[in-house]
Amino acid sequence: MVKVKVFATLIEITGRRILEVPAGNVGELLEKLYATYPGFKEELEKGFMILVNGKNIEHLQGLQTPLEENDVVSIFPPAGGG
Amino acid sequence: MYGNWGRFLRVNLSTGEVKVEEYDEELAKKWLGSRGLAIYLLLKEMDPKVDPLSPENKLIIAPGPLSGTSAPTGGRYNVVTKSPATGFITMSNSGGYFGAELKFAGWDAIVVEGKAEKPVYIYVKDDDVEIRDASHIWGKLVSETEETIRKEIGSKRLRIASIGPAGENLVKFAAVMNDGHRAAGRAGVGAVMGSKNLKAIAVEGSKTVPVADKQKFMLTVREKINKLRNDPVAGGGLPKFGTAVLVNIINENGLYPTRNFQTGVYEHAYEQSGEAMAAKYLIRNQPCYACPIGCGRVNKLPTVGVTEGPEYESTWALGANLGINDLASIIEANHMCDELGLDTISTGGTLATAMELYEKGFIKDEELGDAPPFRWGNTEVLHYYIDKLARREGFGDKLAEGGYRLAESYGHPEYSMSVKKLELPAYDPRGAEGHGLGYATNNRGGCHIKNYMISPEILGYPYKMDPHDVSDDKVKMLILFQDLSALIDAAGLCLFTTFGLGADDYRDMLNAALGWDLSTEDYLKIGERIWNAERIFNLKAGLDPERDDSLPKRFLEEPMPEGPNKGHVVRLKEMLPRYYKLRGWTEDGRVPKEKAEELGIGEFL
Ligand code: SF4
Repeated sequence: MVKVKVFATLIEITGRRILEVPAGNVGELLEKLYATYPGFKEELEKGFMILVNGKNIEHLQGLQTPLEENDVVSIFPPAGGG
Repeated sequence: MYGNWGRFLRVNLSTGEVKVEEYDEELAKKWLGSRGLAIYLLLKEMDPKVDPLSPENKLIIAPGPLSGTSAPTGGRYNVVTKSPATGFITMSNSGGYFGAELKFAGWDAIVVEGKAEKPVYIYVKDDDVEIRDASHIWGKLVSETEETIRKEIGSKRLRIASIGPAGENLVKFAAVMNDGHRAAGRAGVGAVMGSKNLKAIAVEGSKTVPVADKQKFMLTVREKINKLRNDPVAGGGLPKFGTAVLVNIINENGLYPTRNFQTGVYEHAYEQSGEAMAAKYLIRNQPCYACPIGCGRVNKLPTVGVTEGPEYESTWALGANLGINDLASIIEANHMCDELGLDTISTGGTLATAMELYEKGFIKDEELGDAPPFRWGNTEVLHYYIDKLARREGFGDKLAEGGYRLAESYGHPEYSMSVKKLELPAYDPRGAEGHGLGYATNNRGGCHIKNYMISPEILGYPYKMDPHDVSDDKVKMLILFQDLSALIDAAGLCLFTTFGLGADDYRDMLNAALGWDLSTEDYLKIGERIWNAERIFNLKAGLDPERDDSLPKRFLEEPMPEGPNKGHVVRLKEMLPRYYKLRGWTEDGRVPKEKAEELGIGEFL
């Protein structure tokens, strides 16, 4: 199981802030979330930030980034401020 | 002339003289306006060595050529002066409606000089300018000040920029407040206003800002507004959750400064996030003039009623940085800062320094007497000391000097998380090293706004860069951000438009409004010119690059203790020489003659 933390508009979609999902890599995890929560996919269509243990997957292996038991994945829809 | 009016006001408070002066097209092509016009005037007219709180310092209040037009976010203005906090230049930017109104009155800037004998306020109604007595308003909070002036003049249109008790008491980080809750916050511009005995500037105008090609400008503006509306940040995250949507993002990325930057992960971040605020207290969002984004928050809570804010920075400064997680207390503290006229970032930064000095045993209980102890997480500290420091009462008098001077007075300046004595904002640079280089080289010291490298390093705008990459690409991106931010400030727009717009978009709007045919490079050159001119001002004011282009020891020597950035420090030494080189400066960080001449500012060296 990986621990998934979702933020911003994604909380409304999942109804919870923290989920537990079994997945071998980030792509697989996303597919599972898309299948379980209607609207999740659309929310990420314009972009997203996905962190595995706080590291952005852009600097890991993207959607192929492998996940291990107890990893923490944080998912954000596009957001910014300053 | 289009966009700009080509004239500004000079008000001498010592003599009471008011003059109208010209600003011609040739100068506008070099400096655009606002932050650009201001640094030009300061270099030309003022010795950068003046005491910031003396009558010799000048306070320049300037909207830009796009302020007051329909360009998206065109309501901004800058307050430019020599900072009493840093001893260097500051250009503090604010939104709301005041900047646009000053343009409606027909002015590109107000240059305030000298010092009034008694408290006064300046009233501008189109071409009429009056210096009025403000003795009866001195000492009042910002909302009371606005209310009193409004009643006195009897006009609903009025837009007011004023100082609270903090500015009057020359608190080193006092802000200039406008439209109630908008602040030209940083580096003590409010104290400079207070030192001149100037309580407020009230403006109303009836003119329409002239643009060169109305049709073209309208179409261009429409296109840019659409771009912003379709951008997932400017059109989505920002209006929905405000800037505090960043709390969780920055925390999950491991650079949310906690307890005076002792770590970058805050265990209670969610409870003070934009998401939590929206769920608990938000009643609506609040845009500034002509803004399609509307990131401002209007919150309601029993203790203070309806209030605006806090922004991301304020939430953090009055929250995690003090180990405080109670959002209601944070909102209340933010409200107090607005009313007293205080910069929230430096208020929080100073209190955090006090808390660390207390933790380490340098500030002792005996010294505090009955006042609340500076313990992490103690919400009592917030409300008690914010009031005391604004009034310079008791220990508040020491706090009013800012975190650096406070820590220095105990012999430990290293506990002040500041650059050039300006308290740092809400990003631990050990988690974004390019941003750290930005802090070190920012003309006004510890500030994020003028070189927001969090955009590429964390948020992925315009594209994602590795936060721990320190290559030339990173340094070049920082330089671009610095120049572009200077350009946007000089144009009179909000920096949040960079979520959605790029350099070409600003060029399009400026060309259509001003009737020019400049290239994107020409415009960025204006930004570069402004940046270099400010640097020249600082060097003349006594900036020592080796001492001042630096970061607190903590970021250079203490690796981040936990989280995704565990083990990292900022490799400033690796980046700084390349920054100087890529800027075209000398090895020791000075602007050489060739560079100054290339930019057409050789006369100021
Ligand atoms: S984006 Fe926010 S701060 Fe900027 S002009 Fe709009 S409402 Fe004001």
